[in-house]
Amino acid sequence: MQIVVCLKQIPDLQQIRIKRDTREPVLEGLPFLLGDMDKNALEEAVRIVEQRGGKVTALALGSPKLRDTIKEALAMGADEALLLIDPAFADSDTMTTAKILAKAIEKREYDLILCGEGSTDNYSGQVPSRLAEILGLPQVTYVRQLEFTEGGLRATRDMEEALEIVEVSLPALVSVTSEISEPRLPSLIQILKAAKKPLQEWTSEDLALSAHEVGKEASSLEVISNLAPEQERKNITLEGEVDEVVEQLTDAFTREGVIAR
Amino acid sequence: MAEAEKVEVVIVGAGLAGLACAYHLAAAGLEVLVIERGDFPGSKNVTGGRLYLHPLRSFFPHLWEEAPLERHVTKERLTAMGKGSSVTVELSSERFKEKPYHSHTILRAKFDPWLAERAAQKGAIIVPKSRVDDLLWQEGRVIGIVASEAEIHADVVVAADGAFSFMVEKAGLGKRRKPQDYAVGAKEVIELTSGAIEERFGLSHGEGAAQLFFGSLTEGMFGGGFLYTNIDTISLGVVVGINALMEKEPGFELHRLLDSFKERPEVKPLIEGGHPVEYSAHIVPEGGLESMPQVYGHGILVVGDAAGLALNTGLIVRGMDFALASGALAAQTIMEAKKRNDFSPASLSRYEELLKESFVLKGLETFREVPRFLQNPRLFNLYPQALSESLERLMWIGEEPKEKISTTLWREARRAFRFSAVRDLLRVWRI
Amino acid sequence: MSIDAKLALDAFKIDEESHIQIDQTRCKERCQTRYCLYVCPAQVYTLGQEGEILIRYEGCLECGACTIACDTTLAWNYPRGGFGVQYRFG
Repeated sequence: MQIVVCLKQIPDLQQIRIKRDTREPVLEGLPFLLGDMDKNALEEAVRIVEQRGGKVTALALGSPKLRDTIKEALAMGADEALLLIDPAFADSDTMTTAKILAKAIEKREYDLILCGEGSTDNYSGQVPSRLAEILGLPQVTYVRQLEFTEGGLRATRDMEEALEIVEVSLPALVSVTSEISEPRLPSLIQILKAAKKPLQEWTSEDLALSAHEVGKEASSLEVISNLAPEQERKNITLEGEVDEVVEQLTDAFTREGVIAR
Repeated sequence: MAEAEKVEVVIVGAGLAGLACAYHLAAAGLEVLVIERGDFPGSKNVTGGRLYLHPLRSFFPHLWEEAPLERHVTKERLTAMGKGSSVTVELSSERFKEKPYHSHTILRAKFDPWLAERAAQKGAIIVPKSRVDDLLWQEGRVIGIVASEAEIHADVVVAADGAFSFMVEKAGLGKRRKPQDYAVGAKEVIELTSGAIEERFGLSHGEGAAQLFFGSLTEGMFGGGFLYTNIDTISLGVVVGINALMEKEPGFELHRLLDSFKERPEVKPLIEGGHPVEYSAHIVPEGGLESMPQVYGHGILVVGDAAGLALNTGLIVRGMDFALASGALAAQTIMEAKKRNDFSPASLSRYEELLKESFVLKGLETFREVPRFLQNPRLFNLYPQALSESLERLMWIGEEPKEKISTTLWREARRAFRFSAVRDLLRVWRI
Repeated sequence: MSIDAKLALDAFKIDEESHIQIDQTRCKERCQTRYCLYVCPAQVYTLGQEGEILIRYEGCLECGACTIACDTTLAWNYPRGGFGVQYRFG
């Protein structure tokens, strides 16, 4: 079983600071992590390979910091890493990202591609579907459980109010939700061993992509602004007897949509 | 059965001392593992702070050109605070403006990751988000560490785990921690534009100011305040002896002390309009030479704050330069020990020799008496109060005719300085 | 500026388990001074209604001052790796 897991490097959201005057997030100097659901996908891949044999390839596109960030995936059990690092890739939107990832995957042998349903930072959730489309693969989304059948996979999809069970033949692309697994915390030994695992890097040239086909130029999505929501305090003081104040308070909460009557 | 792995050197803590040690060992080709409990090197560390670079140039030539330093300090201020008045001495010197610069303000969450990267480039493996839980022992010698149930064996373990060092404790190298040997500091980082900072402190582009405060701001307790200008932030804080906080009646919390310090007219205009962006706290070793642990054992060395290598003379506060130098000297010791393949205390005692020959222990030796001298409460209530009051009386013109300067001085001196003052003065002379 | 407002400036990664333990019985019986209430720069320790010490380990700045001051019952460790305060300036 050859599994490719797509992982996104994201800034540690718990450490983002918001500039008070401009409401801009301060991204400079932030440590990077792998996306939460991406790690769920990786954990599932590692478990499958532990049970059925094969190989897990961690695939990621991003800044040179990836060389460090990807170590977590290798420590968690990925057998090798394939990194797509090129300044030309910067500011690629979901469409272009999927295109670049597909080019890389096409050069490998694979039975299954696993992705997180969405990224922890932007959560547009588009890359898995676009990737399946480009590669011409069947895709199963919102998967919370995977089983192997004779001809392929049986997947349980989380439809919020219902569970849907579908079967799919391989090769296929499966995007997973956080329910599918609990990502392991690698031990120090595994972290040390990860440093010795194979790590390959490809640029746009290796993927036979020209500068016009990647990055900002090839992307149709433009981020106009990225600001934290305004947090204005209303500073309302309620006065009177307890009963009156409670009444006023519930009224105020209802008006603000905090509670429904 | 825990998994096990072997490296040549394990360093506990990716602060300045640990990273300096890793940098030199990795450069010499040794297999070095640095384990850090924070998300990244520097994420648990706090400085006042300022780094003196001159003592370090021989240990790390050419390392500083690209370092993320904040401002080079060209203006030194010392403020004695009375209740409603204060006296500030300011030193500006052209010498501070000459390259290479004398000292720089820094922020650890920026500086330490940079140093870690330099060490990693040399080949050191730095693993963050891991806490070392214990030392591994065999027949009375340290043979490695335990971290998240994994065992890492090593020829030498370097305890670089900071002022509150569990490694020193577990190795049995330290004395019982006494409250009088430590101070606790609380700091706010306050965001301002670099233009505002330069204007308020009268600095040219890139220049910085450092200001120490003592007196009524600590309510008579051992300690003081500090202010350092960074590129676009100000580090402002108070440091008070743990013992002094314990004895204070009624009790007084450090963060309230910091708030009243910020309200002082000597401070308030300097930070006006700035936004606090971080609140941090840390302990500071204040015991000097007397309270240092043993810095070597069988298979273990102790560096930086963990070894109590910090010095506060009231005028100068240093520790980071000691940390960096001690890390480098520990690395030298390990390389020599490696050649002999001998990590016994006799072999590793070389580290103490090297420290003694260096500016680190020479500095601490020179100021051996200072920690006890600074425990004198008159320094924090009587003298700063008397100094600012006397000067105020000297400057004051009231309705009554002004008396002779010498008369005022003599009366003020007699009012404030009794016999004890002569004794205090004699003690200063010995420092 | 309240201590809560100060601590709100910092990034904390909160572990489910506390890294600070107190033996409340011993603490009540043996300790008259309650130094922890004053030496902690983050006001992790407050006094409960029954004279017990309440611990807000979530806001601990990991300085260790409490352990140096307390000689009775405080069991303090650093939080597990990757947890606790993460300074962005330091």
